[in-house]
Amino acid sequence: MGGYTDNKTFVGFQNFSKLFQSEKFYQTFQNSVLLIVIVTIVTFALALLFASMLTREKLKGQNFLRVVFYIPNILSVVVISAIFSAIFDPNSGLLNAFLKLFRGFQAEPILWLGDQKIVIFSLAGAMIWQAIGYYMVMYMASMANIPESLYESAGLEGAGRMTQFFQITIPLIWTNIRTTLTFFIISTINMSFLFVMTMTSGGPDGATEVFLSYMYKEAYTNSSYGYGMAIGVIVFLFSFALAGILNAVTRREHLEY
Amino acid sequence: MKKILSLAITAALTLSLAACGNSSENASGTTTNSSNNTKTNSTSTTETRTLKLAALETAYGADVWKEITAAFEKATPGVKVETTIDKNIEDVIGPGMKSGDFPDIIHLAVGQQKGLTETFVKDNNLTDLTDVLSMTVPGEDVTVKDKLIPGFTDTSITNPYNDGKTYLMPMFYSPTGLFFNEGLFEEKGWKVPETWDEMWALGDKAKAEGIALFAYPMPGYFDSFFYALLNEVGGADFFNKATSYTEGVWETPEAKQAFDLITKLTSTYTEKTVPANANKDNFTKNQQLILDNKALFMPNGTWVVGEMSKAPRAEGFKWGFTALPALKEGGDRYSYTFFEQIWVPAKAENADLAKQFIAYLYSDEAAAIFAKVGAVQPIKGMSEKLDGDNKLFYSIYDSGAKAAMGAFATTDPVEGVNISDTVFRSIDSLVTGAKSQEDWVNGIIKASDALRAAMK
Amino acid sequence: MITDNRSRRGVSDKLYKGFIYVVLIALAVIILIPVLWAFMASVKQDSEFYGNPWALPLGIHLQNFADAWLKAKMGSFMLNSVLVTAIALGLLLIVALPASYVLSRFKFRGNAFLNMMFMAGLFINVNYIVVPIFLMLNNGDKALRGILGHPVLLNNLFVLAVVYAAMSLPFTIYLMSGYFKSLPKEFEEAASVDGAGNFRTMVQIIMPMAKPSIVTVILFNFLSYWNEYIISMTLLTKPTFKTLPVGLMNLMAAQKSAVQYGQMYAGLVLVMLPTLIIYILVQKKLTQGMTMGGLKG
Repeated sequence: MGGYTDNKTFVGFQNFSKLFQSEKFYQTFQNSVLLIVIVTIVTFALALLFASMLTREKLKGQNFLRVVFYIPNILSVVVISAIFSAIFDPNSGLLNAFLKLFRGFQAEPILWLGDQKIVIFSLAGAMIWQAIGYYMVMYMASMANIPESLYESAGLEGAGRMTQFFQITIPLIWTNIRTTLTFFIISTINMSFLFVMTMTSGGPDGATEVFLSYMYKEAYTNSSYGYGMAIGVIVFLFSFALAGILNAVTRREHLEY
Repeated sequence: MKKILSLAITAALTLSLAACGNSSENASGTTTNSSNNTKTNSTSTTETRTLKLAALETAYGADVWKEITAAFEKATPGVKVETTIDKNIEDVIGPGMKSGDFPDIIHLAVGQQKGLTETFVKDNNLTDLTDVLSMTVPGEDVTVKDKLIPGFTDTSITNPYNDGKTYLMPMFYSPTGLFFNEGLFEEKGWKVPETWDEMWALGDKAKAEGIALFAYPMPGYFDSFFYALLNEVGGADFFNKATSYTEGVWETPEAKQAFDLITKLTSTYTEKTVPANANKDNFTKNQQLILDNKALFMPNGTWVVGEMSKAPRAEGFKWGFTALPALKEGGDRYSYTFFEQIWVPAKAENADLAKQFIAYLYSDEAAAIFAKVGAVQPIKGMSEKLDGDNKLFYSIYDSGAKAAMGAFATTDPVEGVNISDTVFRSIDSLVTGAKSQEDWVNGIIKASDALRAAMK
Repeated sequence: MITDNRSRRGVSDKLYKGFIYVVLIALAVIILIPVLWAFMASVKQDSEFYGNPWALPLGIHLQNFADAWLKAKMGSFMLNSVLVTAIALGLLLIVALPASYVLSRFKFRGNAFLNMMFMAGLFINVNYIVVPIFLMLNNGDKALRGILGHPVLLNNLFVLAVVYAAMSLPFTIYLMSGYFKSLPKEFEEAASVDGAGNFRTMVQIIMPMAKPSIVTVILFNFLSYWNEYIISMTLLTKPTFKTLPVGLMNLMAAQKSAVQYGQMYAGLVLVMLPTLIIYILVQKKLTQGMTMGGLKG
């Protein structure tokens, strides 16, 4: 039922068995997991790298950069989507205009939001753009707590920047990294829904349908409210389990400064 | 252990909701007398009755409804009409309705993003409006039925349950077909194609000049195109069979002809950038392709003129409009008629007053108010009173094209199956090459099979 | 030899620094351009939107803002947003600060269980419980109608604020108790020697120390309340109660209706301007708060 009537029937686990036989749900699942993986890995690596650059080096305009990097995080997704739709436009978008410099002016435009093989990555790009500042500030916060003396003594022993990064920085902010991994899962599931709703409506032809957008579609547009809620249950269990697994895998001995 | 416990509690809470599924038995159109409405309660002490109208704000604007309701209030003493008009009407009234607060009248067509109207149809949640047809139009001495253009209340949209009863009344109609730049055709000396063979020939000619033959705003716009095409390949009979998911209908030679044609049109002759903008936020960019002479034809409705009125355009641009080309010389040409619907929820408190209001909408007085903003109702003789572009559009049926009406039959909800997604949204994949014609057709057959069992 | 080595190191240091500058500035540009573009779009005339989106505006068309503020009623929506956000923040602080202090500092039966429940709360996505919340309030309304004669829970800015505050409790408690845990116990011990009760210790000793963390919490939640639209859309159904993002969505609903891009982007700027201003005002405290706060884990 679409939720406008009082008719309810108990159907037991029927909705779940239907769900597991649905090709569309598998496509949705695949899209969501792909987004979680890409967004997490790229955002994590870049945020960590930039955070370390900003804390470890003495730079001019450091404060300004830090302020700028956080800006995407304070914008509404509605705003970000409008902006990125314009960037990804095939004919007049900034991205294709910029790429023309390398690909030649006669090159076929790339359909960032139209090509089913690319669109999920375009979406990931916008999501990374939005998320990077948040995690960067988080990592910077815990990096700032690492005593400078540790780096100094490591430097005297001849450890280079890379070694310092992997031997000192990463182990000492490990707890923070683990926390953010959970955040990544929760927020990617949530944000991908908001981005999809405002940027692609799940298109072209379901290529960007994600967990929650599919849930909404089934529950409201297709009048299958119970089925939609079944999807909600699966998403909840999936995210909880994934976070649990990541948490267990990344467990290390706690290091003190 | 505690972790598992807390997890189990949360899961159980959500699960209890998920287990509430679709009912197979339906309380068909019964008007339950709900006491949920506060507004009527509070005003019941006075003599005035309040009629609640909810309408989607479209290109015709919100003011026209205010004018209509004012005129109705004047003509019907003791009635006050409370209007809710919004561009996101589904979001505005949806939550209230979930709580049992229903408007008395809803003006919202099928085929919207959220499909609220379809939801009400699927749930058997509408008031039977058949008796409105035999009501006398207020202030006049003809019945509603006599004023309406024949055919509009015999469609599968207005009579969704195939039982001869009308549940949704037809409102503003607009012929749909292919829109193009007539100025460009004059300049190049091209003739508007009358058959699909001429169409392909023109497509090759245009391609040589760097113009694509075809573009579409969103895949959903293929509905009118597809329905008209089904009529062309097999007539009204075939159309009815196809839209009621008759077994084997998609494997017939007629269906194959239609599928071949759409595949050829989309995979070879469609502007390649179209799928990138084929969503509700960017579809005007696809419409812009016609104005910029980057594509020749697009399927659309008459509202596109107003929608793009502020857009820049190629020099000498002039809107042209034609029905679908015929399959062969002298064959039938069709133009699908899109029309909006107005309906009464089953739980409306003032269903009788609502019917009276709907009858009033077909009066000459109301029709004239609507016509001022270009909203045309299927009232006999209305098209002659129009001027400008509208005259051209609404005269399409005078110049030989046949009208096609109706849509895919309504079914009980089937989890995970949505026929318009399967038929229309996949067209994006035909353009990008992600799906072959075979994949597309097989998907349609599968969805049809699933829906047949759930037919009303 | 040694000096030679050192100078070579100096060169590579400089190269490395140069590289860092290039990368950081590139990222800054990538972030700033889209934002500036939105501002630029908000002063364009409608007809300019059909051409190249990156063209500079032909003139400053401030009418867009007037239209958005008055015609699209963004002005009154903004008032709603301010009210909801302020009430929700107030409620949140009143509940979350003592709660996280107690949860992190005192040992009592069920402490671990409560902590666990709040952690589980982090996983509950607003988007899939909004309808149950709605139904709950609605059933409440049905009952209240019998008693009071009119519904009070839906279409009520205060109730929306309560829901917002409740939704952000898990994250806020998680963040604040992390911070409180990191504080040395000596402060409280000293306070109790001076004869201060638990409550006074919390208000007079602990809270002032936690100020940067509290500012961080306020900013985070301000942003999420201000930008939220799904709950707001569901719980506030009357047009007069719309919040700003819902109003913006309405402006954007261009489907089959007259498109007014200028007004839409002006609305968009109206939504993001307050967040930008507040962020820039408190950004120093933000980093400080995160440095001190529980986020470092």
